[in-house]
Amino acid sequence: MRYFVRKIAFFLATLWAAITLNFIIPRLQPGDPAEVMVQKLAGKDAQLNPAAVQAMRAMLGAPDGNLFTQYVSYLGALAHGDFGISYTYYPYPVTEVIGQALPWTLVLVGVTQILAFVIGITLGAYAAWRRNTRFDSIVTLGSTFIGTLPSFWIALLLLFVFGYTVGWFPTSGGYSASTPGFNGPFITEAVSHSFLPALSLLITAPIGWILGMRNTMVMNLGEDYIRLAKAKGLPDRVVALRYAARNALLPSVTGFAIALGGVLGGSILVEQIYDYPGMGRLMGEAIGNRDFPLLQTLLLFIIVGVLLANLVADLLYGVLDPRARRAQS
Amino acid sequence: MTTTDATTAAATTESVPTSQTLAADTRRNSHPLLRVRDLSVRFEPKMSPALTAVDKVSFDLLEGEFVGLIGESGSGKSTLAMALLSLLERPGRISNGSIEFDGEDIASMSQEDLRHRRWRDIATVFQSSMNSLNPVMRVEAQFRDAIEEHSELRGDAVTERVRELFSMVMIDEKFMSAYPHELSGGMKQRINLALALCNRPRFVLLDEPTTGLDVVVQRSILEAVRRLQKEQGFAVLFISHDIGTVMELSDRIFVMYAGQLVEQQAATTLVKDPLHPYSKGLLGSYSNPRADTVRVTYIPGRPPDLTRPISGCRFAARCPEAIERCSSDEPQLLPLAGGRVACHVAHLQRGPSEDKPDGLPEQTTRFAGPEFVKTAEDSDRARRGEVFLEVDSVTKVFERRRGLRKQQTLAVDDVSFALRKGEVTALVGQSGSGKTTLARMITGVDKPSSGTIRFTGSEGTIAVEKLRTRQLRDYRKHVQMVFQDPYSSLNPALTLRYTLTRPLRNHRGLSAQEADAVAGELMETVALTPSNRFLDRYPHELSGGQRQRVVIARALAANPELIVADEPISSLDVSIRAEVLELLQELVTGHDIGVLYITHDLLSARLLADEILVLSQGRVVEQGNALEVIRNPQDAYTRTLLDAIPNPFEQATTTS
Repeated sequence: MRYFVRKIAFFLATLWAAITLNFIIPRLQPGDPAEVMVQKLAGKDAQLNPAAVQAMRAMLGAPDGNLFTQYVSYLGALAHGDFGISYTYYPYPVTEVIGQALPWTLVLVGVTQILAFVIGITLGAYAAWRRNTRFDSIVTLGSTFIGTLPSFWIALLLLFVFGYTVGWFPTSGGYSASTPGFNGPFITEAVSHSFLPALSLLITAPIGWILGMRNTMVMNLGEDYIRLAKAKGLPDRVVALRYAARNALLPSVTGFAIALGGVLGGSILVEQIYDYPGMGRLMGEAIGNRDFPLLQTLLLFIIVGVLLANLVADLLYGVLDPRARRAQS
Repeated sequence: MTTTDATTAAATTESVPTSQTLAADTRRNSHPLLRVRDLSVRFEPKMSPALTAVDKVSFDLLEGEFVGLIGESGSGKSTLAMALLSLLERPGRISNGSIEFDGEDIASMSQEDLRHRRWRDIATVFQSSMNSLNPVMRVEAQFRDAIEEHSELRGDAVTERVRELFSMVMIDEKFMSAYPHELSGGMKQRINLALALCNRPRFVLLDEPTTGLDVVVQRSILEAVRRLQKEQGFAVLFISHDIGTVMELSDRIFVMYAGQLVEQQAATTLVKDPLHPYSKGLLGSYSNPRADTVRVTYIPGRPPDLTRPISGCRFAARCPEAIERCSSDEPQLLPLAGGRVACHVAHLQRGPSEDKPDGLPEQTTRFAGPEFVKTAEDSDRARRGEVFLEVDSVTKVFERRRGLRKQQTLAVDDVSFALRKGEVTALVGQSGSGKTTLARMITGVDKPSSGTIRFTGSEGTIAVEKLRTRQLRDYRKHVQMVFQDPYSSLNPALTLRYTLTRPLRNHRGLSAQEADAVAGELMETVALTPSNRFLDRYPHELSGGQRQRVVIARALAANPELIVADEPISSLDVSIRAEVLELLQELVTGHDIGVLYITHDLLSARLLADEILVLSQGRVVEQGNALEVIRNPQDAYTRTLLDAIPNPFEQATTTS
C-alpha cells in the first residue's frame, strides 16, 4: 500500500513541477508577444503602431497583476480547461483544435502501439523459447535489418507503391466525402485512410519489443527456477508462460507504458507524410506557425500523458513484481 | 567435553546407526531403483573443442538408499545430476548408456512420457543459489502447480497438503502466501526440500543443497533431510563438495574424478580405509580440530583436460602412489573389499602377493602427498610476537532512516583485542555477527562510532579511526585484503602482470622494470613458478587455487604488515584449501605479517589461527587460544558452531 501512495505522491509532485515550468518558461522569454505578433503582421521594417499592439494585447488576453496573481489565475484557467486561443486557427480555442485532432491520433497511434507491443512480445518470447532455431534466426536477423530503416522512409515507399502506383489506398487526409460520426461510410473511409499510416508504423514499431523480450527471456531461461519448473514436469506451455515469459515481461511493461504516454504526441513524420489530421501534424503546424499557445498546450498534454503513463507503469510493476513493492517502500 | 556437548553428541551418534541399519534392511530385499549403465555425457559446442564430461558411469541405487557423490568441482558431478534428471542443456547430451528407473529406461523415453514421471518419481533440490523459486509467484502457487500436475488433489486439499509439507520442514504456515524474496536463505532451502517431497517421490537428487548457507543453518537443513529420509524412505543421491557432511549422512559414497566414478564404498568403510588415492586425498582435507597438531593433506595439480585423449589412469599425474602401469592402462571399476575401485595399485596391494610388482607402494590410508601442519608450538611462538594492532572497545552503530524515524542497529558492540606480528587471529561468527564490519573498521573503510584502533607500523603508531582520505591511502599500504571469491576479485580483462605491477608502482613507486622484476619474485613467493609462464596469462587460465594465490601475491605487493583475509578458502575445493592455508602460514612465519582471518567455519579457523574471537550479534562471546576454544568452549554459541562441524572420523570410531 505504502508503495502505491508513494508513487501517486511522486506523480502529483512531478505534475505540479511540469505545470509550473510551463508557466515560467514563456515569461522568461524576452520581448512582448503582442509586439512580436504585430511586427510580424505589419512586416519587418514597419513602424509599430501602439494602438495595434494594444488591440493585439486585448485580443490575446494580456496578463496583468504581479507574477503570483498571474500564477494563480493561470492555475485557475487550467482548472477550467482554458488554454488560450490558437494563432493558426484563430479564433478557435486551443482546446477545441486539439479536441479535433486527438481522436485521430489516439486511434491510429494507440492501436498500432498496442498491436506492436503484442506482436513484439509474442514473437520475442517465442524466438527465445525456440532459441538457436531457424525461427529465432529469421526473427532476430530480420528485425535487426528492418530496424535500420527509418519509418518515414517506409511511409514514403508505401505511399508511392500503394497510394500512387497501385492506387489501392487514399493518399492523404483522414476521410474524404462522408460526414464524421458513427456511420458506415465514415468508418469505412477512416479505416482505409489510416491503413497506410498504420502499416508504416507497424513495420518498425514491434522491433524494439521483439529484441528486448527475446534477450530478457533468453537470460531468464537460464535461471534455476526455470530448470526447477522443468524438473517439476510442468507442461512446456506453463514453463514458458508462467515461469519464463512472466518474468521476462517485467522490464518491457515500463517501456510499454511510456510508449503509450508518447501516443499523445502522435507521430509527426508519418502524419505529415499522409497529411493525417492528428496531433503529430498539428504539432508540425504549431512549430511552423510559431503558434505558442497551441505548442505550449500540446507540450503540456504530452508531459501529462508521459507522467500518467509512468504512474500506470509503476503501479502495474508493483502488482506484477512483488519485489518492487518492498524494495522501495 | 562439557555435559551439554556430550548429550548432543550422543544424540547424533545414536540416531545414525538406526538410519543405516534401516537402509541396509531395505537394501537386502529390493532391486535397484536406479540402474545406470555406461552413461556418457558429451558437450559439443560449436566454437570450442568437444569434451566428455561424464564417461561411462555405471552404478546402482537401491530403494531407500542414501548415497553421497563427492569430487572436486569440474569432476562431472553436476553434469551427471542433470543427465539423471534429463535436464541437460545443449550443447550437452547423453551420448551413450542407459538410465533405468524402476526397470524403464528414462534416457530414451519421450519427453512427454518422462514429464509425467517427473516430480512423482524423481524430485530434486538444486544448489542453494537462492534462485530456485519463481520470484513473482507466491510460494503456495509453486507447490500447487506441481501437486495438481501429478495428482488428483485440487483446491483446499492442495492447501492442506502444502500446510502439512510446511510443518514437515518446520516452517510457519503463514509463509505459504509469501513471495520468495520475503524468505531467508535457510527458509528457502527448507521450502525447496518440502517442494521436492510434495508428491512423495521415490528418488530425490540433492545437488549441493546447502552450499553458501551458514554452518548452523546448513546443519539444521541436513538434519531435516536425514529425518525425512528416515521417515519416508525415499532414495537420495546427495552431491556435495563438503566431504564431511556427505560422509556423515550417507550409507554409501561414490567418488568421482574427471568424469568417471573411481570408487564406490560404504561410508563407514571409506572413512577408515579409503582405497583410491584420490579418495584418500579428499578425506585428508579433514582433520580432528581438537588434536594438538592438525594435519591436512592436499592434492597438488589440476584435473586433466577432458578435451584431449587420456591414456591410462586419469589421476596418475597427481597421484603419489602411481606405478608404471598407471600411465598406460586405464583402470576399471572392479569389486574390492566390499566396494568397487578403479585403481591398479589398490587392487595389487590387496591382491595375492605373487602378483605384486617391484616398487609397489606400501598400503596406506592417508594421502601420501603434501600436507599442511599446524602445531601447538607454532601458536606458542606466535603469541610471543610484538603487538602491532590494538582494537580497544570498538562499537559501531548503523543508522538507517525510515521516513522520519531513525532506526539504529548495533553492528559491533564493545570489541577489544590485540594482534601480534606473525600471529593469525580468527574472527568467527555467522553472517550478521559483525565480523565483516569489524574488518571494515580495521581497514579504515568504516569509522567506529566509539573506541580506538591503534596500528603500529614502520611509520610509528597511527590512530586508524581518525585517518582522512590522504592518510588512509598511505595506511592501506600496510593493510591489504584477500577476498572470498578469487573468481571475482581479479579483473578478467587484465593480465596477471598488470594486476601485480599496478600496486607495486602505486604503493612502492617502482619503475616499470623494477615492478616487473618484483612481480616475478612475488609469483615465486606464492609458488607460481616459473613466473614468466604465468605473468602474461589472464585469470580465467588459472585454477581457483592458483587465482587465490595471485590474489595473495597482489596483497603482498604493497609490503603489508597486516592482511585481512575474508573467507579466503571457502569458495575453493577442499582438495586445494590446504594449499592456500599453507601459503598463508608461510607468509605469517616467514614475513612477520599479522593475519586477521574472517570465517564462519570454526574448523578452518582452527587450522590457521592462533587466537580465536567468536562473535555473535556484534559482541565477542568467546576469546582465546584457538586450541583452548575448540577443546573447551565456554559459551553456548561457540558450542553450537562446534556442533555444526561434521566429524565423520569421530563417528566412524563410535559406530564401528
